[in-house]
Formats: sequence, structure tokens, C-alpha cells
Amino acid sequence: MGELFRRIQYLFNRRRLDAELESDMEFHREMAARAGRRNFGNTLRMREQARETWGWTWLDRLGQDLRYGLRILARSPGFTLTAVLVLAIGIGVNVAAFSLFDMVALKPMPVRDPDSIVRLERRSHDAYTSEMPYASLKFYEQHAKTLAAVMGVLGVPPMQVDEDVQPASASFVTPNYFTELGTPAPYGRMIDPARDASASAAPVVVLSYGFWERRFGSDPSVIGRTIHLNKKPATIVGVTPLAFASLGGQRPDVWIPIAQQPYFVDGSSVLTDPSNSAVRMWGRLAPGVKAKVAEQELRGLTNELRKQHPKDIWDDEYLQSSPGGHLQVMQPAMYQVAAMVSVLTLLILAVACANLGGLLLAKAVTRQHEMEIRVAIGAGRWRLFRQLCTESLLLAVLGAWAGLALGCVVLEVALRQLDAPKWLSATPDWRVLIFTGGVTLFAAMFFGLAPAIQIARQKHRRTTARQILVGAQVAGSCALLIVAGLLVRAAQHALFTDPGFGYEQLLSIDSQLGQHGYKPAAAKAYLDQMQSRLAAAPGVLSVSLVRLPPLGHAVSYANQEIGGHQVLVYPNWVDPGFFRTMGIPLLMGRTFYQGEKHAVIVGQSFARQQWPGQNPVGQLIGDGPQKDMVVGVVGDARVNALNEDDAVEQYWPAQLDDMPGMVVMVRTAGAPGALSPVAKSISESLDPKLFPEMRQIRLLYRDQVVVIEQIASAVSVIGLVAVLLAGVGIIGLVSFTVSQRTKEIAIRIALGAKPAAVLSSVLRQYWWPVAIGLVAGASGAAAASRILRRALYGVSNLDPIGYSGAIAVLILIVALAALLPARRALRLDLAKTLRYE
Amino acid sequence: MPMSDMPKYGMPSGALPMLILRVLQSGSLHGYAIGQRIHMLSSEILGVEEGLLYPTLQKMLMKGWVTAEWGISETSRKVRFYRLTAQGRKHLKAELSQYDRVTQAIQDILRTA
Repeated sequence: MGELFRRIQYLFNRRRLDAELESDMEFHREMAARAGRRNFGNTLRMREQARETWGWTWLDRLGQDLRYGLRILARSPGFTLTAVLVLAIGIGVNVAAFSLFDMVALKPMPVRDPDSIVRLERRSHDAYTSEMPYASLKFYEQHAKTLAAVMGVLGVPPMQVDEDVQPASASFVTPNYFTELGTPAPYGRMIDPARDASASAAPVVVLSYGFWERRFGSDPSVIGRTIHLNKKPATIVGVTPLAFASLGGQRPDVWIPIAQQPYFVDGSSVLTDPSNSAVRMWGRLAPGVKAKVAEQELRGLTNELRKQHPKDIWDDEYLQSSPGGHLQVMQPAMYQVAAMVSVLTLLILAVACANLGGLLLAKAVTRQHEMEIRVAIGAGRWRLFRQLCTESLLLAVLGAWAGLALGCVVLEVALRQLDAPKWLSATPDWRVLIFTGGVTLFAAMFFGLAPAIQIARQKHRRTTARQILVGAQVAGSCALLIVAGLLVRAAQHALFTDPGFGYEQLLSIDSQLGQHGYKPAAAKAYLDQMQSRLAAAPGVLSVSLVRLPPLGHAVSYANQEIGGHQVLVYPNWVDPGFFRTMGIPLLMGRTFYQGEKHAVIVGQSFARQQWPGQNPVGQLIGDGPQKDMVVGVVGDARVNALNEDDAVEQYWPAQLDDMPGMVVMVRTAGAPGALSPVAKSISESLDPKLFPEMRQIRLLYRDQVVVIEQIASAVSVIGLVAVLLAGVGIIGLVSFTVSQRTKEIAIRIALGAKPAAVLSSVLRQYWWPVAIGLVAGASGAAAASRILRRALYGVSNLDPIGYSGAIAVLILIVALAALLPARRALRLDLAKTLRYE
Repeated sequence: MPMSDMPKYGMPSGALPMLILRVLQSGSLHGYAIGQRIHMLSSEILGVEEGLLYPTLQKMLMKGWVTAEWGISETSRKVRFYRLTAQGRKHLKAELSQYDRVTQAIQDILRTA
């Protein structure tokens, strides 16, 4: 310990101690001279040996290397700038991608003790739902000892505020929601368990900061004012902070205590009905309790709950916990996407590094002379190698700074664009910095090692390294371009391909009858009235009922094995007019009769896969003794699975019991938006307590497509950047080859070689690397893009147009990049070249 | 005494720190004096090369066996004197007993074999 301390002291006092050592030796020499001795030896060398015992020589050498490296970089600013830029792109893209992941999945939310918050979801071996009955939540809250608190959120359709045209989104939350998160109130107060827990408490709402700004012009005097939500008066008691971090990233306009839900939604039984899964549940682990232990206790409680409500709890149901203190609760599929994205961004880094490696190799030739001199005056290979590695590291560090800045700027822009929660910031945290450091080191090794070895071994003429670098660049950019091509195709496909139903003129009207306590018969009466009056309205072509409307809030599917491979079966419950309203063609058989039972209509793909070569009409479906008979076959329609390639559909006739959950679909002759006021007034006259949610399918569809378009354009930009990088790299390497072989080319031309022969002699060494790179890149893309299938909107991940397009673009750019500098070989001034050489 | 200064034998490897510690036991000395003292005490058999003396002294400073402080030489020049520390004294004791045991063992073999 003492020795280490002294060593460090010596590091800081090196100058003084060296002077003292020098004085010691000086004195020694004086005394020796008095004694008549003159041959003291080389003082400098001895001092150096003595200093070596301090153990800091490596630091001196590193300092030398760094200073020298900086001088070298400063001497060729063009090269340095290019190299830093190339690296900044490679590193920046990775930093931005990792920062995003960090934000979504790693960064703890700015709430009280985020690490102890868990998201709890119902699961069984074959079922999953993100929501649970409020009664279950209360049961767990009362009995779980491993949970210090249970929080719940009930999302509802947008609510009407006073007489506004634009409805406001709302969430009902358990009263402890804000106190558990430790949310301070910038104005007024938050929902408070002491005052807002009971249904008999005065109805209150808390406004979100954004809504307060938009709707109330940031007026602090709104606190205490009464507003009407769905015509029910309530008092505004507070405003959430601007940078409020909510569980699961929910951002409703207004927050309401969950006990008030029956007050705002007339006749609702959500809070009492044990079969109505509607509440998202979070828990806070009791101090010192691990999530697994809590899961264990909750499993026991679930079993108890099953005894009380055997119908409503699945057979092997359990609550699965996942860390809830982050922006996003990560699902396994999200990790797959993250892996896919990281492969793509690392490819860009690889292309950038290969590119820079090429540049360094070419530069090595100009430094050959310098290296020879250094070897001649006694530098060892190891010393040269270390010097070159230091230079690479220096470049990498410069590139990393630029990349970090670039990544943060990109992210900042993205956050603004995406209207992200205000507590997120693009400023890198320690995780991002460590990641940047790691990537930088990795990059420096990748681009610096090969050239350093080659140079230190003094072998410049070998072409293998150049060929490998060209191959790697081509492979990387090929894979990137293909993925970009696939996504562009998917966006086109989604934009211009019929999803199987005519979405342009559809309006869905969801009156939420079940949530308002409607019984089946009453619901049927309401829906019948609604349908007949809508049908009579001008501009309405067709009206029908469906339980799971297109792009709705809920989907349902089951995995089923047909003919040896897994398909996703999407069931739906419809009335006979559904197919006409949706514009789904009836291909065989007939549609349902009114009130028909034990019948099913299947999609074309399902019929083809289940009964290949047979007539599907008349076939039976079902596991139980009571089978359902196929009465018709309709065209494939991705009503609930727009981007699912393997989806097949089954339609069942809606029964009386289904009525409270049914949604009205209307096809209009003109713009569906014009029908909204008509539908609203019909609903008003049928039951003023209802506030139906009306959605234009066309707009929902556009929203979906916009997302894939954005992703496609982002990936395309990245792919093009990679290709341009590769192009620049190839230009550099080919010009280098030409300049190296000037003499040989000149002699050939002088002897009468044809231009084509000259070109091919220059470029021949790159044919194979390019070909191998293309093949490797394409197969890499084929393997990696399997994960992408869901995002591809029905485009195969082996789509030939995507592949051939990408490869064609790449070949074009590579050819241009190779031919431009190679042409110089043909325009050589023969006399001058030959004389000079 | 021009020639007598020259070492007649080299220093056995590893012995120098022990000898330096031993000659410093009677008081602090500067570098040149340490070399001289060892040379003298060994009846001019052992000589200490400067190229070995100073790195060894640096190593011993680092280990904490000796410290250096400024003093005035017999030629009235400002020079560093090396002084034994408590830690150095302890180390010397350990070294000596170790050395005694090893030489004893060697002697035994030489006598009986």
C-alpha cells in the first residue's frame, strides 16, 4: 500500500525527483573525478535506468506517442477530417440507437424508488392479457404481503369536455397513483388517497400539463373551477408537472380517481364485474422483496381467487412481473426488434471501420519512408505497432466525440419530432458514455489493427488486406441496402395494397354499451335502432355490427397448427351484413342467416390451408361435441392483423349475448367524417348518457402506415449513407492501386494495350471481394430480416424485388466508384510518367 | 590510488540492497559514500558500479527501506543523504537471518560432502 502511494507520489513529482537524481549522479562523478577516475559512463542512460524502477516509463512513452500522433494527424487535416467524419457516422448511429434503447428500457423513471415498481400481467401457458378485473386488483392489494402498494390504471374512450368538439383522453387511476410515484403538484394538488378514495367523495380531476396549456392557456386560476366531462360536473384540483413520468408512458389529458368511474360512466360495472378485465396493474415491492418472491406469493393468491371465481380465472393463470420503473415494459418481441436494430447499426460501424482501414492502408504507403527511418534508428516492431495503435486510438477518440455529439443531436431531433415525454432528454447518461467508450475501443481495434500489423511488419504490397476490407464494406452496405429496400417495399405495399377490405369510407361507432351496464336485450334494441336510423341517413351505403372492429382497441387471436406450420387464427363475431359493409368479397357459399347458430365463415387462406383441394363449405370446425359448420368462404381481410403475414380469419355469427360489446360499422358514399354529427345526434336521442367513440378507419390506417414509412425512410437514409461510405472507400482504394501501378500501366499503354485491358488489370483484384461481399451481405440480410417479417406488411423477407433493387443500386455505385479513379490510368501522360519513374 | 578504485569482483546479484542497508545502519550517507564504504569494508574486493547503485537506491526508496534528505557533503556541496527507515531496519534483520541460514547450510554441505 505504502509502495503504491510512493509510486503515485513519484508520478506527480517526476520532474523534481529526476533533478535530484541528476544531482546525485553529478556529485558522484565529481567525487570520482577527485579520486582520479574519469570513466563514469553514460549519465543519461543510467538516469533512465534508475527512473525505470519508478514504473512510469510507459506513461512517458504514451505521452510521446500521443504527441507524435497528434502532430501526424494535424499535418494531414484532410485525411483526419474524413476519418473523423466516417467514424462519427459509424459511432453516432450506434450511440443514437443505444441511447434510444437506454431511454426506453434502462433509464429509471424520475419517480420515487423506480426499481421497486413492477408491472403485473395475467398470463397462462397459452393466454395473455395486459389488463385485469378491478375486483382481482383489490383482492391482490388486500392480501399480498410482498407488495407494499398496488396501483391501477383504467383507460377509457375519450371524454367530452364541456361543449368541445375535440374530446379529451382520460385515465382513471387508483388514488395512491401519484403519491406512490411521489409526483409533486406544480399547481393545486394531485389525487390523494385520503380524500379521493371513496365513491362518495366530491368528483375531482387532475389536468395534464399539456392539456392545461392547450385548453386553458396555462391559466393557474383554473384550480377550483368546475368542468363537465361527458356532461358530469367535476372540480379541477391540480395540474401534473410538465416532465411528469407516468407508469407505462400513458399520457391522458385528464386523470380521475378510479372510485369516480361509475359517476362519469353511467351504469358501468367495471369496478364490480369480476369478469371484466379492464385495469392495468402495477405494484411496488415491499422493502427487500425480490420480484420472483412476490410472483410466488401472487401465484398462491391467484389460486385462491380462482376458487372464488372459477369462470374468470384461467386454469393455470399466474401474474407475471416485469420491471415497471422504465418508460416501456419490454416484451420479448421488443428485444428481438432491438437485436435487429443493433445488428443494422453495427453493420454501419463495420462499413465505416472497413472504410477507414482502407484509408489507413493507403496512407501507409506515403509513410513507408518514415517507418524505414524509424526502424533504421532503432525502433522495434513492437514500438512501431504501439505508435500506430496510439494513432488509431486517437482518431477513434476524436471520432467518438463527434459521434456522441451527432448521436445526441439526432436523438434530440427525434424526441422533438415524436413528442416524447418531457422527462426524457438526449443528454447522454453514464450508460451511454460507457457504451460509447466500448464501441470506440471496438472500432479502433477493427480499423486500426490490420493496418498497424501490416505497417509494422513492413509489408505494403500485399493486396489481401485491401481485398478483405473491400469485401467487408460491400457485404455490410449490401445487407443494409436490402433491409432498407424491404422496408420501402413494405411501406409501398401498405400504402398501395388493398388490405382485403375497403377502408376508405368506413366509420366505426363504438357506444360502449357493456361499459354502461347494458344487458343483451337492451343492447340489441339500442343497436337495432341505431342501425336502422343510420341506414336511413343520407349518404349511408351499408350498416352492420362487429365485435372487433378494424384497428380497434382490442384484438384476439389463437395459435393453431395447420398442416405442420403455425398460423395465427383471428376470430371475429359479426352480423350477416358485415361482409357487404366492409367490402369483403364472398367467394363461396353464403353469409349467415339472421340469428343463425353453429355456423362459421372462414377466410380464403384458412380454407386453402385447412382443406387443400376440398370444398370447404360444409366442413366442420370445433373441438367440442358441438361442431360449427362452414357456410361460406370470404376473401382474406386483415381486419385485425394489418401487418401479420400468417394471419387467417374465422367469423362467427354474433349472438344476443355478444350485443353489449358490438360496434356499429358504417360505409358511406362520401367522406365518413361528415356522418359523425348525424351518428352523434342519433345516439343522443337514443340514450343521452352514452358518448360513442367514432373513428374513421381511413385515418387510423394512415397513422399505421406513417409509422412504417418513417422507419423505412430512416433505414433508407442509413443504408444510403453506408453505400456512400463504401463508395468513397472504394474510390480511395482504386485510386491508390492506380497510383501504385502507374509505371506498369504506362508501359502497357505505351506498348499498345487496349483501354479495357488496362482497366481490367487495375480492377481485377477487386472482382472477387465485391462478389463475395454481395453474396455474404445478401445471405446475412436474408437471415436477419426474418425478425422483420411482422413489420413488412405482407411483403416476404425474401422479396426478390427488394433484393435485386438493392443489389443493383450497390453494383452501380461500386462500379462508378471503381471506374472514376481507374479512368485516370487511361489519361496518363506517358512521356512524363515514364521519365519520372 | 587510481587502480584500487576499480572493483576486483562484481557484486553477487541480489546482495547489493542488503549491503547498502548494512552500511547505512551506522548513519546516513550519500550515494558516493555508500559505494566507497562497501568497497572499503570488503577490503577493496567488492566494487559498486554506479549503473547498479543508483537504480538500486531508487528501488529501495520506492520500497520505503530508505529515505533521502538534503545535507552538506564533505566538499561542502548540497547532496542527498540516504537514511535507514524503521521498515528498512526490519527488512535488514530479516535479510541477515535469512542470509545466515543459507550460508550456514552451504557451509555444512561444503564441509561434510
